[in-house]
Amino acid sequence: MVTKESIEVIAQSIGVSTLSPEVSAALAPDVDYRVREIMQEAIKCMRHARRTTLMAHDVDSALHFRNLEPTSGSKSIRLKRAPEHRDLYFFDEKDVELKNVMEAPLPTTPPHVSIATHWLAIDGIQPSIPQNSPLQAISDLKRSEYKEDGLPARQVLSKELQVYFDKVTEWALTLSGSTLFRRALSSLKTDPGLHPLAPFFTSFIAEEIVRNMDNYSTLLALMGLARSLLHNPHVHIEPYLHQLMPSIITCLIAKHLGRRLSDNHWDLRNFTAGTVASTCKRFGHVYHNLLPRVTRSLLHTFLDPTKALPQHYGAIQGMVALGLNMVRFLLLPNLGPYLQLLLPEMVPEKQKDEVKRHGAWLVYGALMVAAGRCLYERLKTSQTLLSPPTRSVWKTNGKLTNPRQSKRKASSDNLTHQPPLKKLAGEGIMQMSSTQMQMHGTIVGLSAATQQTHVGRDIAPRTSATSGTNIDSYLCPLFEYFGESMLMFTPKHELSFFL
Amino acid sequence: MEGEQLNGIQLNEFLIGYLKKRGFNSAAKGLEEDLHHNKGSDNNVSSFTSIDYHNDPELTKLIRSFSQSEDDPTRYRECYSKLRSWAYNSLDLYKHELLRVMYPVFIHCYMDLVGKGHTQEARVFFNSFRKDHEMIHLRDLQKLEGVLAPSHLEEMEFARSLRKSKVNIKICQYSYDLLLQYLHRTESTLMLGIINEHINFQVYSGQPTSASDDIEAVTIVGSFQDTANHINQKEIQWGLLEDSLEDRLEKTGGLLSDFEKGQGESKDGDADDSKKRSTEIGKQGSSIKKLKKDKAGNATAKVARLETSTVPPAPRVKSELALPVMSTDVEQSILEDLRNRVQLSSVAMPSVSFYTFVNSHNGLNCASISHDGSLVSGGFSDSSIKIWDMAKIGQAGALQGEDDTNDPNVGPTGRRSYTLLLGHSGPVYSANFSPPGDFVLSSSADTTIRLWSTKLNSNLVCYKGHNYPVWDVQFSPFGHYFASCSHDRTARIWTMDQIQPLRIMAGHLSDVDCVQWHPNCNYIATGSSDKTVRLWDVQTGECVRIFIGHRSMVLSLAMSPDGRYMASGDEDGTIMMWDLSTARCITPLMGHNSCVWSLSYSGEGSLLASGSADCTVKLWDVTSSTKLTKAEEKNGNSNRLRSLRTFPTKSTPVQALRFSRRNLLFAAGAISKPAS
Repeated sequence: MVTKESIEVIAQSIGVSTLSPEVSAALAPDVDYRVREIMQEAIKCMRHARRTTLMAHDVDSALHFRNLEPTSGSKSIRLKRAPEHRDLYFFDEKDVELKNVMEAPLPTTPPHVSIATHWLAIDGIQPSIPQNSPLQAISDLKRSEYKEDGLPARQVLSKELQVYFDKVTEWALTLSGSTLFRRALSSLKTDPGLHPLAPFFTSFIAEEIVRNMDNYSTLLALMGLARSLLHNPHVHIEPYLHQLMPSIITCLIAKHLGRRLSDNHWDLRNFTAGTVASTCKRFGHVYHNLLPRVTRSLLHTFLDPTKALPQHYGAIQGMVALGLNMVRFLLLPNLGPYLQLLLPEMVPEKQKDEVKRHGAWLVYGALMVAAGRCLYERLKTSQTLLSPPTRSVWKTNGKLTNPRQSKRKASSDNLTHQPPLKKLAGEGIMQMSSTQMQMHGTIVGLSAATQQTHVGRDIAPRTSATSGTNIDSYLCPLFEYFGESMLMFTPKHELSFFL
Repeated sequence: MEGEQLNGIQLNEFLIGYLKKRGFNSAAKGLEEDLHHNKGSDNNVSSFTSIDYHNDPELTKLIRSFSQSEDDPTRYRECYSKLRSWAYNSLDLYKHELLRVMYPVFIHCYMDLVGKGHTQEARVFFNSFRKDHEMIHLRDLQKLEGVLAPSHLEEMEFARSLRKSKVNIKICQYSYDLLLQYLHRTESTLMLGIINEHINFQVYSGQPTSASDDIEAVTIVGSFQDTANHINQKEIQWGLLEDSLEDRLEKTGGLLSDFEKGQGESKDGDADDSKKRSTEIGKQGSSIKKLKKDKAGNATAKVARLETSTVPPAPRVKSELALPVMSTDVEQSILEDLRNRVQLSSVAMPSVSFYTFVNSHNGLNCASISHDGSLVSGGFSDSSIKIWDMAKIGQAGALQGEDDTNDPNVGPTGRRSYTLLLGHSGPVYSANFSPPGDFVLSSSADTTIRLWSTKLNSNLVCYKGHNYPVWDVQFSPFGHYFASCSHDRTARIWTMDQIQPLRIMAGHLSDVDCVQWHPNCNYIATGSSDKTVRLWDVQTGECVRIFIGHRSMVLSLAMSPDGRYMASGDEDGTIMMWDLSTARCITPLMGHNSCVWSLSYSGEGSLLASGSADCTVKLWDVTSSTKLTKAEEKNGNSNRLRSLRTFPTKSTPVQALRFSRRNLLFAAGAISKPAS
């Protein structure tokens, strides 16, 4: 759309300073129309040149039809789409050093146009030769796998694929941080025809993870490998999922990932959580027990007080990534007992070990983010329902701080007496398993309808209808657990809504 | 009485104002004079003109609303959105029929607003309801979007034709009643006016048809539709030429059948050899397989012949053109080919040989393949034409050694493998072989058509006549004559020996994008950017058929060998099969999701091949479609044609397709890097 203002700007740029507003207002729609007219002709040229992308010379020839001077002979430049705008494009111009241009060797002459022949089909069947599309080959492969299930399908890997596999695995173990490896990952993510390598990569990942539990960078590389493999639409990974998933879960909730203190295993856990979630989303409808199994192992880790804090962190992140419904059903009900365990770990007096304290704070942060998002979703679905109670909480916040502190004391008292704690944890688990059952039922019931893609968001209204009161009762005490800082995790305008 | 009289005077003023606004100046003047006259002669003001609407309160209301609404641009938006919400809330059964009305009303509201100069309101109106119609009418909307001044309405062909014509909408009786009731009840005279002015309802009794099946329910070409209907009444002789080679073959077929079989097998052997030579894929088992296939093919061929004997054979007609005499050599080779034709059907698929242009750098505008597949031409945007002799390349490859023939650059690196033809001064949009392959015709953006000899490798004639780029040129099935079509909205018929056109076919409302000859040479078909296909009589130059139904620019055409059907492919990937005699679409073939560049019927017309920008070649079973239509006539079911096979290429849009006389399918395209 050409606006009046742009006409004025253009007029100024070509030296017409006195353009009356009426003139520009009248010109704007006409310029718009003319540009469209030229583009219509240019599109015709494009079609007749048997192309689907418009080039600069199409516009030039369209101008030529109208007896207009073509725009300066700009060669076809790739326009880039501006992010977050549908119709805005720009030139991605780079600065060119004159010296470099002068010193650059002369380009080689372009090769002649030539014709290559091949059989696209013989008697209606496409031969699997390099000249034909490889997609066909994959679907053939799939078919053969389905046919002879049970029997190990013997496949001969082509030499290229073998080299590819050797190189990628070598880089994963040695050059894991390099751009080369990153390129390899993106190739693994998109290239068709890699399907025959799927079993080899799967077993490679499984083996190397066991071997390299101390080596943080290798683990990260392996996770990247797994993720790329899972994301490739041309790789038929489902049959190998059972082999791959345990390795991935290991990277999420293992006790030690990497040996050195500088290893940021928290990042690795976050990354893995994302992979787990996307896998569950993609294959959840094929493997009905995939999601429940993953959830169960995460929950067991979370509820086991003997497990280390990083393991808890991994479990929490995993559940958060799986969707807010997980958080709502599994995390929130256990938040109270868990925080009683966690809070002492966070204070310097109780926990002398700096690293462990840091870990505890991270776990606390993860829980808070999870709870905050949960709360936010809840508020979004029913603002009217929740605002009065939260407001009252907000108002009486000053009062609430005291009970919280006292609770902290109480919990620290609890810590000194071991038996009650264990009892508490046991109760928690009991409570948990019942919710888990309920959860399981809900998931199975809903999986068909929603394919579990947006478990949290899609089901939110319905679950709130069925067990809404149950959930809300968990949401309200969040303020008691986290206090004012809770509200930091609800977005700003929501905050202003409360104020 | 006093009030009533005043009312009467007011009414007269309203009426005069209204008439003036609508441009009925003389009528307004007449009315005024009448009124004056009445005043002068009669003291009582209640004249005969006002009596009528005194007694009719409905009418007064109507007239008042007319005079009120006339200049208020927001009324359009209001009324339209009311009508829209009413239509959306109507009964499910009738909803889709009522929704059909919305689009014409929408575009005419918009054009009304533009026409009255309310640019801003028009734009707001357009944008607020655009989404409703985007799914079906996106291209039209994109065109209309740019129309922002009354002058544009005049200038733009599309808008003008919309304004001039009426839209035909099929609607069931009850829906029609519902609509009228609504319009009267709400007194939305604005909408009523638009509907009356631009929509032509074809009311039918009974239940409404289901939403999807009726593609002819809405046709946006109103008065044009009438002319189309009128034109389509004309008689056409779609039969094949009498005494064609195929006929001759049929006659001698019985005598030759034994000979034919023997010949066929030996030929197959030859073909296998050549396959092995040209590519490395000749498998050991293929010749055996081939023989088996051949038997199957023969069996199916018999079945096919039985079937054809039940179907009445195509009528024979005389050519209205003086056709060139075919040399006996050519005739013999064609007969030979026909004898060795592989019978194709839904169970016997053809082999597809693909010619991939490499290193074309997006410069390849068109490709064409000669009848025997030995010559391939490419027209380039740098105004050159290049011709490859595949037979020679094959030999060179064979000489080099059989091992490295799958090297993608078949031509030896030092020397170029093609013949370069230079002469045009603009991008070449089409380069077409004469049936024997001795000439090439090319058309270009420099508005000329050039004739080249493949024997002499030089330009022979330059035909000037078109005023704008020539999009397509096609030799007639017997050579000598050719047809061209251009951006100047005409198609022309030429002969090789004259530099002026013989006929100019004018009538399309936009560019004529492709042209194709009917097998009997008496007609040509043209596809256009106005989304129609037309059939023209070559002898008289008249338009004899208009085929309406495409939703975007028509890019490719093919005629069935029996002359009865035509296929056309458009920019959206839809292919339509038309019956020439009734001008009706038999069935749309959906499957491609991008431009259909090329279409070709197999030799006996049982298969249709389509090549598209979505990098696939598709084969369609068209015999079942014709059979189904007969079944359809009986039980009134709608039918969908089936796609038999899809052959994806390796990121190569398919630009050209041709079935050889022996039913080997050739395809060509330039490999392009997948968009990243």
